[in-house]
Amino acid sequence: MPNRGDPEPDKFNAPSAQPTHSEDGVDLTLIRWMLSLTPAERLEVLQNNVRSILRLRGEQTET
Amino acid sequence: MSRPKPDFLAILRTLRKHGVDFIIVGGVAGVLHGAPLSTFDLDVVHSREPGNVDRLLKALEALDARYRTHADMSLKPGRSHLASTGHQLLMTEAGPLDLLGTIGKGHAYGDLVPQTTELDVGKGLKARVLDLAALIRIKAETAQEKDKAQLAILRRTLEEKSKK
Repeated sequence: MPNRGDPEPDKFNAPSAQPTHSEDGVDLTLIRWMLSLTPAERLEVLQNNVRSILRLRGEQTET
Repeated sequence: MSRPKPDFLAILRTLRKHGVDFIIVGGVAGVLHGAPLSTFDLDVVHSREPGNVDRLLKALEALDARYRTHADMSLKPGRSHLASTGHQLLMTEAGPLDLLGTIGKGHAYGDLVPQTTELDVGKGLKARVLDLAALIRIKAETAQEKDKAQLAILRRTLEEKSKK
């Protein structure tokens, strides 16, 4: 048992237990986040992304 | 029709309201299954049964759907277009909608139904969505260079889901 005051091992510097990217470069953290949402929430994320991109392109002024 | 406001849910609601039999495929299906993709159009495979084509025509009228492949967007889809195996690339008042008679190497609505799940896509609206494994398999059948990155994300999503 570690003494009080000893740094807790692996709390800050250890690599995450789960990899952040797959071998082919896919960001797994985004997948895990999407999987934490319901299908309806995922569709809302997509909808908001599309509208944001269109606004940035100046193709749509309405929200 | 100028700069329609993209609204996937509005298109889906209109299709359901008119009793259209369809399956969500493509990027939106991937997103509904948890893949972090971005897409600007809604891809659906529709039943080409005559009664369904009639209902679909009414839904498309309500959405003011026209071919976005024509410069002036004056051409509206007709019964023969929707009864074909081809892909109808439309613009509606709620954004782009691709109606697909078949996908991959000739998979039609009836072949795909057993490989779908009905999901709540928002505000209690239920819609059939092609299963993730089927989406990957069919996309891989005809994958072009542009599809490879999306396929990698879909495959990793399936892997992550299987861990849960």
